[in-house]
Amino acid sequence: MKNILISDPTLRDGNHAVSHKLNLKQIAIYCEAANYANVPIVEVGHGNGLGASSLQVGLSDVTDRQMLETAKKHLTKSKLGIHCIPGFATIKRDLANAIDIGVDVIRVASHCTEADITQRHLGYIRERGKEAYGVLMMSHMAPANLLLEEAQKMENYGAEGIIIMDSAGAYLPSDVTEKISTLVEGLDIPVGFHAHNNLGLAIANSITALESGAKILDGTARGFGAGAGNAQLEVLVAVLIKMGYKTGIDLYNILDASDIAEKEIMPSIPVIKSESIVSGLAGVFSGFSKHVKRISEEFKIDQRDIYFELGKRRVVAGQEDIIIEVAMEILKNKK
Amino acid sequence: MKEQLILIQKDCEKSCADISSLNSLRNQSILITGGTGFVGKWIAEMICYLNEKENFNIKLYLLSRNVELFKTEVPHLAKKSYVNLIEQDVRNIYEIPNDIQWVVNAAGSPDSKEHSSQPIKTIETFTKGTTSLFESCFRLPDLKKIVHLSSHQVYGKINSEKPIDEKQFGSLDAYNLNSIYAESKRLTETYCAIYRNQYRMPIIIARPFAFIGPYQSLNKHWAVNSFIRDGLFGDSIRILGDGNTVRSYLYGSDMAYWILSMLSNGISGECYNLGSSERINLIELANKIVNLLNRNIKINSKSSKESYDNTSIIVPDLSKVFNQLKIEVNIDIDFALMRTIQWNKK
Repeated sequence: MKNILISDPTLRDGNHAVSHKLNLKQIAIYCEAANYANVPIVEVGHGNGLGASSLQVGLSDVTDRQMLETAKKHLTKSKLGIHCIPGFATIKRDLANAIDIGVDVIRVASHCTEADITQRHLGYIRERGKEAYGVLMMSHMAPANLLLEEAQKMENYGAEGIIIMDSAGAYLPSDVTEKISTLVEGLDIPVGFHAHNNLGLAIANSITALESGAKILDGTARGFGAGAGNAQLEVLVAVLIKMGYKTGIDLYNILDASDIAEKEIMPSIPVIKSESIVSGLAGVFSGFSKHVKRISEEFKIDQRDIYFELGKRRVVAGQEDIIIEVAMEILKNKK
Repeated sequence: MKEQLILIQKDCEKSCADISSLNSLRNQSILITGGTGFVGKWIAEMICYLNEKENFNIKLYLLSRNVELFKTEVPHLAKKSYVNLIEQDVRNIYEIPNDIQWVVNAAGSPDSKEHSSQPIKTIETFTKGTTSLFESCFRLPDLKKIVHLSSHQVYGKINSEKPIDEKQFGSLDAYNLNSIYAESKRLTETYCAIYRNQYRMPIIIARPFAFIGPYQSLNKHWAVNSFIRDGLFGDSIRILGDGNTVRSYLYGSDMAYWILSMLSNGISGECYNLGSSERINLIELANKIVNLLNRNIKINSKSSKESYDNTSIIVPDLSKVFNQLKIEVNIDIDFALMRTIQWNKK
């Protein structure tokens, strides 16, 4: 029976779905439930990770310290994980404090072609003896050979595993096979996959990743995450059990945790809305959805037009301010 | 710290199996480029031992871009009257003292993190650094020998369980970012051949394998460093990749003695492996470290693959070194690990 490492970013990716407004009580409740279900890693924080609370990508109501301290208190068996994008997160101000609080697993992320920026952060995490993973976001934007080169850089910097994110929910299963297989062949360290559900393929793509050699999967309760959400954790666990994989997660307890999450932390369960389908087709970061919705209403433009234009411009996370520029240009062209 | 430095001097004594073999270096001047790294510090320690215990009266020049760092990290060596620090970038050496007779070219970092993040600089440091040094050495009136430190990586990928000898070359994918270091080293070896042939310079090549010991930063992400660091400061030791991977580790004082022996007795035009022949796989290595740490710490394995078709075995064949230079490994892996852990606990 093969072991699969499950990381659960319900309290991180899910924060995108509520404009980064998860409160400490919600964090405590879900951590307790996930811990009880033996989820190996529970990822907590602002949607864009450590140190990202800002006007540009959204302000949290609570600080990173408050979130992590609260989570740590309620995670006795599960490891506490964070997402960390260099630039948002600095080593001295953010990372050092997070490790002091007791974070166990740190996933250092960059845009899929910019692994160079992760060197110092990955190095620092390994120096502190913590588990360090490299994450390549928006991985649909780079061909398999380039993804491998960027992943190899992260491996050289000290990453103990590489996770590619389908941040826009743009992958077809054949894309997953090509990219995961290339990484598994070219790396010594385990490979993981983080799905989004814009085209309804999150679970299918996750399973395809496993069959292509991935050993780490991300999933969130009820799929709670940016845009159309992620791979639905409780479904993923059930499918993995049926397929004979071992996750260490208790099925009944993860089903209960999902029920609790639905009741306590979700204003609404993620569904694949029309704009999410367009966002997936256009290959735009799912975390843009709230901003695109708001700006399209403000400018009275069809948000689908914005998505396709953003897709043409190949925008990446952190470029949220371009949405307004795109909206103004669409408006100008209409006139 | 003082006790640790005394132990380092004892290590140097232990490694110096045959002092008389180094006699040609008595009352001589030696230049080390990249002198402030692991190799430079250990050679400085060895010369400290030779001068102060064996009256060798060697004058040592250490060339580096940052001599202040050397003064901060090893003030006891920087203060020695026979240690002279030269601050220059090896890529643009403009002048070196005329009294230099022996040279060890150890400039450039073997750290793959730097190769990945600064590939062009890596290549330039090795290639321009080597030619710049050789041009300067050509003007020395009494140059006796140069030991150029290359790398075992020039051998490329060899699918064999046997130790690698100096004539055994495998494949190397030049069109691969992970080949930056190996290709740079290959080119510098060709430079060595050119300068030896066209300028009749007395050059020998040493091909280092893996080293271990004090002065090696635990932040290098090589297996042994990571295992010791995670064992000392982390929650678990993580074996990344194939746990059956076989390596060998030469202790710092042995390395310094071997390099000085090559300088003193190596034959111009020859290449020599520089490493230990004591094989150990990563699982055994991690277990030895756990036992030495005396801590309740787990060992986890993480790998992208279910199984490996070929286990990576990188261990030098030392027949040539033993036969020509009469040197051997004096410090075994158990002692080397114990001393390295002891040093890093400080």
